[in-house]
Amino acid sequence: MSRKIVKSRYFGDEGLIETVSEVPAEKHKAWGPDAELKVVGKPVSRLDGYEKVTGKAVFTFDVDLPRMTYARILRSAVPHAKIKNIDTSEAEDLPGVLKVLTYKNCPKIPWHWNTTVLFDERVRYQGDEVACVAAESEAVAEEALRLIRVDYEVLPFVTDPAEAMKSSSAKVHDWGNIIDEGPAVYFRGDVEKGFGESDLTFEDTYSTQVVVHNPTEPHCSVASWEGDKLTVWDSTQALFGVRDAIAKSLSMPSSKVRVIKKYMGGGFGGKLEAGKYSVIAALISKEIGRPVRITMDRKEMNLSVGNRPDSVQRLKAGAKKDGTLLALSQYSYGNVGAYPNGADCGTPLRSLYKCPNVRTEEYSVLTNLGRSRAYRAPGHVQGTFAFESLIDDLAYKLGMDPLELRKKNFTEVDPISGRPYTSKRILEAYEQGSKAIGWLEKRKPTGSEQGRFRRGIGMASQIWWGGGGPPAYCTIKLNQDGSAHVLAGTQDLGTGTYTFLAQIASEVLEIPIDKIEVTIGDTETCPYCGLSGGSLTAPSVSPAARDAAEQMKSKLLSAGAALLETPESNLKYSSGRISRLDEPDKALSISEVIGKLHEKVLVTTGAREANPEGYEINSFGAQFAEVEVDTETGRVRVLKIVAAHDIGRVLNYKTLLNQFHGGIIQGASYALLEERVVDEYTGKVLTTNIHDYKLPTVKDTPEIELIIVSDSDPLISNTGVKGIGEPAIIPTAGAIANAVYNALGVRIKSLPITPDKVLMALSEKI
Amino acid sequence: MKNFNYIQPKALKEASDILKKKPGEAVLYAGGTDVLGLMKSGILTPEEVVNLKSVPDLKYIRHTQGKGLQIGALTEISEITESTLISEKYAILKQAAREVASPQLRNMATLGGNLCQRPRCWYFREDFNCLRKGGDMCYAFEGQNKYHCVTGGGPCFIVHPSDMAVALLALDARLTIYGGKKFKTVPLKDFFVLPEDDYRRENILKPGEIVTEILIPELPEGTKSGFVKFKERGVWDFAVVSVGAVIRKDGDKVSHGKLSFGGVAPIPWMEEELNKKLQDLALNEESFTQLAQGILKKAEVLSKNAYKIPLLRNITKRILLELTA
Repeated sequence: MSRKIVKSRYFGDEGLIETVSEVPAEKHKAWGPDAELKVVGKPVSRLDGYEKVTGKAVFTFDVDLPRMTYARILRSAVPHAKIKNIDTSEAEDLPGVLKVLTYKNCPKIPWHWNTTVLFDERVRYQGDEVACVAAESEAVAEEALRLIRVDYEVLPFVTDPAEAMKSSSAKVHDWGNIIDEGPAVYFRGDVEKGFGESDLTFEDTYSTQVVVHNPTEPHCSVASWEGDKLTVWDSTQALFGVRDAIAKSLSMPSSKVRVIKKYMGGGFGGKLEAGKYSVIAALISKEIGRPVRITMDRKEMNLSVGNRPDSVQRLKAGAKKDGTLLALSQYSYGNVGAYPNGADCGTPLRSLYKCPNVRTEEYSVLTNLGRSRAYRAPGHVQGTFAFESLIDDLAYKLGMDPLELRKKNFTEVDPISGRPYTSKRILEAYEQGSKAIGWLEKRKPTGSEQGRFRRGIGMASQIWWGGGGPPAYCTIKLNQDGSAHVLAGTQDLGTGTYTFLAQIASEVLEIPIDKIEVTIGDTETCPYCGLSGGSLTAPSVSPAARDAAEQMKSKLLSAGAALLETPESNLKYSSGRISRLDEPDKALSISEVIGKLHEKVLVTTGAREANPEGYEINSFGAQFAEVEVDTETGRVRVLKIVAAHDIGRVLNYKTLLNQFHGGIIQGASYALLEERVVDEYTGKVLTTNIHDYKLPTVKDTPEIELIIVSDSDPLISNTGVKGIGEPAIIPTAGAIANAVYNALGVRIKSLPITPDKVLMALSEKI
Repeated sequence: MKNFNYIQPKALKEASDILKKKPGEAVLYAGGTDVLGLMKSGILTPEEVVNLKSVPDLKYIRHTQGKGLQIGALTEISEITESTLISEKYAILKQAAREVASPQLRNMATLGGNLCQRPRCWYFREDFNCLRKGGDMCYAFEGQNKYHCVTGGGPCFIVHPSDMAVALLALDARLTIYGGKKFKTVPLKDFFVLPEDDYRRENILKPGEIVTEILIPELPEGTKSGFVKFKERGVWDFAVVSVGAVIRKDGDKVSHGKLSFGGVAPIPWMEEELNKKLQDLALNEESFTQLAQGILKKAEVLSKNAYKIPLLRNITKRILLELTA
């Protein structure tokens, strides 16, 4: 199958990806809206379901190797200090301790874009790595940590980003506390002129909290050497990223590092980067000549492996009397923690609606707290809450139905680039979602509810990228017995990658799904795929899988033509059999074809094709929330969420529904429960377990109704898929906040909307 | 976790002697739902862990007509939620038990342990050398005190975490305590210790003393009781505030009533004055609202917990209306 090299451009988890990639020279006819598919799109049960529910599934933590050793990390107890000295002698003397690593005996391996090293003499947050102990057991390693004496020279610290932005603030790094030394500024048109021409302007400040990923499975790594070859099992969303980070850190060729991740208990973006712990495990393992397992406990999960930055967003909107938006502006800042990352959240304001004059100014601010990382729709979740609250407020001021205001400002083209979308079906999402929640019949005028329990209905819109793109490859091996093996160097975060890959192979080759084996999560045996973040996996990998399967089918047809002595056009491929159209009795099974070819295994490798030129690829949607607020306790109960989304083609309805449930529950919990709490006087985190850090329980889960308004987006790829991991969470908090406003007539402008805030807001209103 | 000796005493005397011999170095272990967490986070570093469950006959629920309920200290909270011996009159007990933690934890946690659990204050549980752990300041006073006490605080500002204690307080429960030689009985209201008296401990137990039984007096016919716990999360959450109520009515008036409160003070809280006002109170929303306005009159709120006052008043009014409806 011929290939070509093209430039590709698409949005990933943290911004624009521009690549030069190998893609198929010709596209297969896309599975369009009218494609009749038998397996793809159906609610096929997870291939990994049985192993997982029976506890047989092997996660990274379960990898058990002969002569295994166990490592634990000592983390800084203070938010900012220079380590004057570390005395590890007592720890080293403890029976069972095999190795203690500190800044004194560890190579200076650069980390976080050269702003620190693996073990830095200067620690910049409570939880920064100070030392690591490997021992015969985890208990001994734990005990050894307590025997390490660290002499800190405590330095001034800052935890509040507003404070950190001042020139008088303590400095997290000597070069300052603001990323790129200033704001990220975007503008189009003339925003002041736009406000001037507006009949009405509205301005307010909205804020969001820091939340922590807290996946069920902790971050974990197992490192093992065989000669000069290293194998690392890693709970990661980015196999090849981890492989290359380890290879670079240890100055060894990538070919000598193999990274494996079979199953995973969630990542949510927190596992997109290589962790220091993986490199530490590899270093120690090499030195002691035994495998090392390193696991984060729940406290480390809450301190040291990432979070969603908070935000303070001063937003302004200007509109004509009829609701036409004329100007939008945003000034915002967010706390990225102790090492560089972005806290931008302005994309929804810049791109959700048609508006000629827009200006955004965003600061990413360093403080002495745990560093943020990408977290399920970075920026969009906090941005959508604030911006959609503003739009709701504006509708109220204009005396307009909030849904009508959004429809009024619908845009056919991307307002930033001016390009059309491959597809945009948000109006159908508005239509069907509002019908399902009872927008017209049930929703009462804002603030008109009386009595103890007040109900409200609100909504918010969603935009995200998630069209995926090259490079992504998939290999199919077809065996003589008619069974197939699908291989791709991608990841299954618990989202269903295994299952959809098998579905696609089954669909094209018409092989029963139980005869298909899928291997992913292995850098050595699988062809390259990118990381699993940014809702990229299904839209990037599924077309490559189809390409591989179609190539296989065409290979079989060519062979069949030769063997049955007829042109391919006279052949029919059905249920794993090739037969002549003119003489249906002349037929061969896959096994017979492969047998006659004298090949035990037929192999094809497919690739993701290029994205179409001149288009933007985005997913769209709207969520509608119905809430009930108890005005005597301040408690908000989410009665129902209707999620109506345009996500291209559905690959598997079961796993799709799972992802929406997960995203909406996480979004509702962001709106109402979760918050990392910091003691500002000591710079320490108070919520380091999942009791104090309020993860939701089954009782905090609303009724969820999912409506998919799209069928396929054939312009994107041969499968017509858009990613949905992130769209699911983006509008939930905004919809809930707007429903609370509709119920109470009081706007809660900071997340989470907890009972104390509601009670205090209600008492101020009275 | 520091290494420790695990001891399985066969009798109360044996358990008590170990505790007495090594005060502060030996810890009693029942359901373990709190002790294990304290040990894992390094707040407790005992040399001896004494498993009370190896002592026989401490797990039972009995009802004697005229005498009331006797519950062995090792009775699991889940047993209380299911017992058929605990009749409708004692609804407060079952309701409180059902509100404790989660089903898994209730299967392990014991009633005695629930009463003796340590505070959930995040400064106490995290790496802060706070007053209660031997340090020289209460970090909550000027810090993150949303969940802290609004009355009875100083110099430490915890709230007592037990739901069962709040219910038992309204029931006038008494505790049987074994001291190594003999048993004594103390009213539950005298069991807990305010920080102003001793900020290092939450109850009066001296080294070697073990709670063995909880006694709940017989309630007259016609008594109604209930428990309401307000928590932020749907389940598995400690009380933001809670209220226990035991009430009898006579015609259109209250003839007897007791209210107890959780989540507001370093000990399960009862206001004698308030309970007196319940006597002869008319059974209507207006009188209950008025009564509720008198709850926690002497409260001294901290920077982030003023909301607890209206919250507690509102849920108290609701439970009174419900029980007298």
